[in-house]
Amino acid sequence: MAKDGENSEQPHKSHRIRKSGASVKKKSKSKPNSTEGLSKEQQKINNPKAFAFNSSVKAKRLQSRATEKEQKRLHVPTIDRNTGEPAPFVIVVQGPPQVGKSLLIKCLVKHYTKHNLPEVRGPITIVSGKQRRLQFVECPNDINGMIDCAKYADLALLLIDGSYGFEMETFEFLNILQNHGFPRVMGVLTHLDKFEDVKKLKKTKQRLKHRFWTEIYDGAKLFYLSGLIHGKYTKREVHNLARFISVMKFPPLSWRVSHPYILVDRFEDMTPPEKVHMNSKCDRNVTLYGYLRGCNLKKGTKAHIAGVGDYPLSGITALADPCPLPSAAKKKGLRDKEKLFYAPMSGLGELLYDKDAVYININDHFVQFSKDDGAMAEGTQKGKQRDVGVELVKSLQNTKYSVDEKLEKSFITLFGKKPNMSSEPSTGLIDAQDVVDRDVPLEPVETYESDVKDEDSESDEEGDTEDENGLESLDGERANNNQSSSKSINDSSDEETFSKSEQHHVTQRNFKEQIDLHGGRVRRKAVFENEMDIDNKVPDEDNDDKNDTKTNRGQSSGGGFFDKLKEEIELQKQMNIAELNELDEITRVEIEGFRTGTYLRIEVRDVPYEMVENFDPCHPILVGGLALGEENVGYMQVRLKRHRWHKKVLKTRDPIIVSIGWRRYQTVPIYAIEDRNGRHRMLKYTPEHMHCLAMFWGPLAPPHTGVVAIQNLSNNQASFRITATATVLEFNHATTIKKKIKLSGKPCKIFKKTAFIADLFTSDLEIARFQGAAIRTVSGIRGQVKKAAKEEIANKSKKKGGVVKGAIARCTFEDKIKMSDIVFLRGWTPVEVPCFYNPLTTALQPRDKTWQGMKTVAELRREHNLPVPVNKDSLYRPIERKPKKFNPLVIPKSLQAALPFASKPKDLPSRKRPLLENRRAVVMEPHERKVHALVQHLQLIRSEKMKKRKLKEDAKKKAHEVERAKEEQISKKRQREERRERYREQDKLKKKVRRNTES
Amino acid sequence: MGKISYTRLKGSQNFRLRLLLATLSSTPIIINDIRAESTFPGLRPHEVSFLRLLEKVSDDCAVEVNETGTKLKYLPGIVMGGRHLVHDCGTSRSIGYFLEPLIVLCLFGKKPLTIRLQGITNDSKDPSVDTFRSTTLPLLKQFGIPSEGLELKIESRGVSPLGGGEVILSVPIVQDTLKAITWIDEGMVKRIRGTTFSTRVSVQFENTMLHAARGIFNHYLPDVHIYTDHKAGPQAGKSPGYGISLVAETTSGCYISADMAVSYGRGDDEDEPEDEKKDLSPPGDIGEKIASTLLGEIEQGGVVDSTHQGLLFLLCALCPQDVSKVRVGKLSPYGIEVLRNIRDFLGVKFVIKPDPSTETVILKCVGCGLKNLSRKAS
Repeated sequence: MAKDGENSEQPHKSHRIRKSGASVKKKSKSKPNSTEGLSKEQQKINNPKAFAFNSSVKAKRLQSRATEKEQKRLHVPTIDRNTGEPAPFVIVVQGPPQVGKSLLIKCLVKHYTKHNLPEVRGPITIVSGKQRRLQFVECPNDINGMIDCAKYADLALLLIDGSYGFEMETFEFLNILQNHGFPRVMGVLTHLDKFEDVKKLKKTKQRLKHRFWTEIYDGAKLFYLSGLIHGKYTKREVHNLARFISVMKFPPLSWRVSHPYILVDRFEDMTPPEKVHMNSKCDRNVTLYGYLRGCNLKKGTKAHIAGVGDYPLSGITALADPCPLPSAAKKKGLRDKEKLFYAPMSGLGELLYDKDAVYININDHFVQFSKDDGAMAEGTQKGKQRDVGVELVKSLQNTKYSVDEKLEKSFITLFGKKPNMSSEPSTGLIDAQDVVDRDVPLEPVETYESDVKDEDSESDEEGDTEDENGLESLDGERANNNQSSSKSINDSSDEETFSKSEQHHVTQRNFKEQIDLHGGRVRRKAVFENEMDIDNKVPDEDNDDKNDTKTNRGQSSGGGFFDKLKEEIELQKQMNIAELNELDEITRVEIEGFRTGTYLRIEVRDVPYEMVENFDPCHPILVGGLALGEENVGYMQVRLKRHRWHKKVLKTRDPIIVSIGWRRYQTVPIYAIEDRNGRHRMLKYTPEHMHCLAMFWGPLAPPHTGVVAIQNLSNNQASFRITATATVLEFNHATTIKKKIKLSGKPCKIFKKTAFIADLFTSDLEIARFQGAAIRTVSGIRGQVKKAAKEEIANKSKKKGGVVKGAIARCTFEDKIKMSDIVFLRGWTPVEVPCFYNPLTTALQPRDKTWQGMKTVAELRREHNLPVPVNKDSLYRPIERKPKKFNPLVIPKSLQAALPFASKPKDLPSRKRPLLENRRAVVMEPHERKVHALVQHLQLIRSEKMKKRKLKEDAKKKAHEVERAKEEQISKKRQREERRERYREQDKLKKKVRRNTES
Repeated sequence: MGKISYTRLKGSQNFRLRLLLATLSSTPIIINDIRAESTFPGLRPHEVSFLRLLEKVSDDCAVEVNETGTKLKYLPGIVMGGRHLVHDCGTSRSIGYFLEPLIVLCLFGKKPLTIRLQGITNDSKDPSVDTFRSTTLPLLKQFGIPSEGLELKIESRGVSPLGGGEVILSVPIVQDTLKAITWIDEGMVKRIRGTTFSTRVSVQFENTMLHAARGIFNHYLPDVHIYTDHKAGPQAGKSPGYGISLVAETTSGCYISADMAVSYGRGDDEDEPEDEKKDLSPPGDIGEKIASTLLGEIEQGGVVDSTHQGLLFLLCALCPQDVSKVRVGKLSPYGIEVLRNIRDFLGVKFVIKPDPSTETVILKCVGCGLKNLSRKAS
């Protein structure tokens, strides 16, 4: 108490704010005026008049806008049916080749588990926190792999080579992501150590960041990995990245919430070996292992294996979690033992119980540097990737002779002969044997391990170094703390729509592709014209935006209705949990299926042997469950838009490869557009910048499913591969697309206003169908089809010599038509959508081979060197119009007689002698003659004068022209010089810049 | 492209249920041995009529029946719905036979349905149209189906043998999914309503029925209103008959119904010769009988009566993947068949738990998550 009293008596000296110096400058920079520092609300309170409404109209508008924004933010709440432990979140690391994908995964794995991962193959599951597991997948570099990855990624880490800039793969992947429900995306810039100039690095970072933002949303996280230390990314940066991953929330995506799916992290061939021996190409039975995600999986569900096809899941069993979350004891962080880690395709994981076998993997972590291990690891021929120190130690272990002995034996070589060292690694043959021995299951009763498996397991023994020190465990703890006190990272789930609209900011105009050879491979760089402009303006706007969004977020969400909905959903969820937990385990599985997050073993029978043969762990298998009715085929109508970066418009009936739901298949679309009367009119080509409808045949997908269309699967392709994006509108069993048809015919007999038209129809039946249809002649006379003409009349016209092919129709017109008229009937004819679809079986062929499907007509023509057929009638020719020769007007005699005399043509005989008027001579008076002569003189003088003047002017003009030509030449020359100079300068500058960027 | 794999079924039982579920789950089916052993093999007229009705409301469904009608191949299409449809249900079964599957089916259609159904409105085999209006439509509302657009209008009545009735049914479509329900409280009966009808007979028949029924109910509760609906002229159909439909409403919003209709049966159905027609039971007896039937239904307990059990189970199975929980009285044979078929087609299994204290059964299931896929995305 006394202390308190003292304090009150003698208060501490208050803090004196600096009034000069660096810190003041820094502060003032961040807030130029005093009001800036205050929040908007505070400002309003301080100065209410400044924020009063001046105009009621404006106030109303503002209010309505605010409410609109509020409503826009709201989304229909979705029920989260996942109970219990969530499955590990899939983190897909994507990027162009050689950008550091595997290294990033290795570094992250090292960060989490303290294990060195020799090689990244297949999904790697790790426990990252008490409540969280992660599964890292490296996205393969072909478009099929990218599409599949986009379908199961919870978070996509887009790796970008900072020294080079964005490449097409990144944008392709982003587009695929956006159309398959937009999961979380984070950019990671690598290769930043290639910059020497700090300023330039800063500029580049900013430029890339803003480009990244235009593609995703303003404020999207772009991470910088500044460089490598000992061939690894720096610990601090990896740690930060891991922290970002650990606090990330993953919004539910509508497609995935309604479909179960499994990312296969283990794959076994279960075919009886004798069957395979008999026929190596027999259909195989395989088992697939993985965590169940999405929604509950019931028994008897059909599933689509991406790249293989649809198969019923014949046996599903839940297995013990190979990578369980730590027990829920109260403690901070994870103990080292709990830092589990499971990656069977990379050959990692400790003990595996299976239905058929038990696998034991001894971790290098415990084995340390024993001799056998060293020898074995050598054998796998992957020694290069190992640490240099480890290499040395192991080589020392292998030596038979000591250094001294060696020294004795050694001799100096003058020529480059290799000394025959005894410490050379033993050959691979023996070791391969060893590995097989080690990895054979304890009870190999009915297991058959394919070669693939062996390869997998080889790698697991490789160079794991010792656990370095306890430093990182501290970091891990801290990361966990962060997770619990996670600042909510932008949890509005509207990225799906938001980003789509956002991406339209970048118009086609300012996008360019640049293909060049860089860093040992062809790269497809994305170049944007306005990149520099963005740099200059964005920062200011950006701040404002942030403020806006923040204030919005702060406001209360939605009205009572929204809250009520949420409450209902929560109630339902609680009830579900309560009801289902009452049941025993077996009944529960029967009723609701396997819960998400369980580790499942799925048996699939009779898959083609190619799937086993060509299995590549770097291309993880995706097994997607199908909902009711999704295995059926039918016509689908989608709203499609050509991608703005695709260079051509798409042609109707050119096959495209579409990715819908889990599937990828090739199909033949018909493009159409809806007319104002609701008719779907066929289009030969997609519009350039507009949405159109496309109808195609294929396995059905529910409405609102995103679609990505591609035409070319090859990897060496230069251009942007995504040709179009779409959403499914509905599916039908009948097609409604129509195209215009113009039937033309010729009259074969004309009465007053009735005419018989031939060649318009082919049969009487057709005429009957078109009775009453409107027709028209070229000259614009309208008419109507009446009926098929009677047989005799048709015969009569035949007799007359006209060869009539089809039926003759009797038609009436509003006026009499001419024999030379052509009669048109304009109608609509239904267009059939080809019933063709071809699933992409990319998993059934070597992954480096490009899948070949149906070719377009243009491709076929190019291959066979066929010319484009030309319809001669469709060619434009100069129109030759002969001058019409009219006959002289002849007035009939009777009419002539009736005319009045004045109008009557007079029949006068021609005169031989001219009239007197013309004949007589003129005799002038003397005065008159004088005047006449004078006038003539004057006229002569004048004309002479004019002639002279004209001559003079001409000469002057000529001289002037010569002068001007001379001048012009000189000026041209000068301009050319100037231009040359300018270009030379620009070129120099460019070269300089290029040199700088390359260095 | 590829082959269509048909699910093979046998026998004539649960014909409309099988077709309904096949259409909802879009599973192609083949039914073999349809009354292959009976004197009149093959499909009955009402079953053929039901197939025609399915063809009418759906798009591109393919039905193949062999010559004798003993084998049926059904490839379901997409339910289209639509307006101004007309269907003649024939006279072998009443409209009630068609209404139940039609309503469920058209909830998952592309467009709302408005259809005019002609035939027999009331008979003793199937639930009458009055019961539909009073009981079935409120039942649907429990599952979150919008009440506007859900309507059954009785234009004219017709009883067997000649029919001549006409109703207009309009069914809305569900926007996305149904709503899972928890419905285990049947409550106490608070009021009894009902309708009597008579066609081509004296209105006195109705009054007699009404009084007889009221006489029984009035011992238990005062709130009993039974309306009379006497049809005459063209609205009365082609045959004479009379009947009554009663519904008991409970405090928790359950409707329990019973109905009965009396008319001359179809000639070919009956065994007795045509000329001496069986005497119809007197209206007084009918009134007493229906009252005791209703009381029996109420005594059984459960949130629905025994005729609506099947529909209730079906709707529960079609719900999103949430738990639905309902209480019914003694499981009716039809209800059990429905449960079996739901398991086969939709893969939804129910947990059946008897509640010995009230002699009722509580059923629990997780719906199959059927979405209205045919609805066009705007």
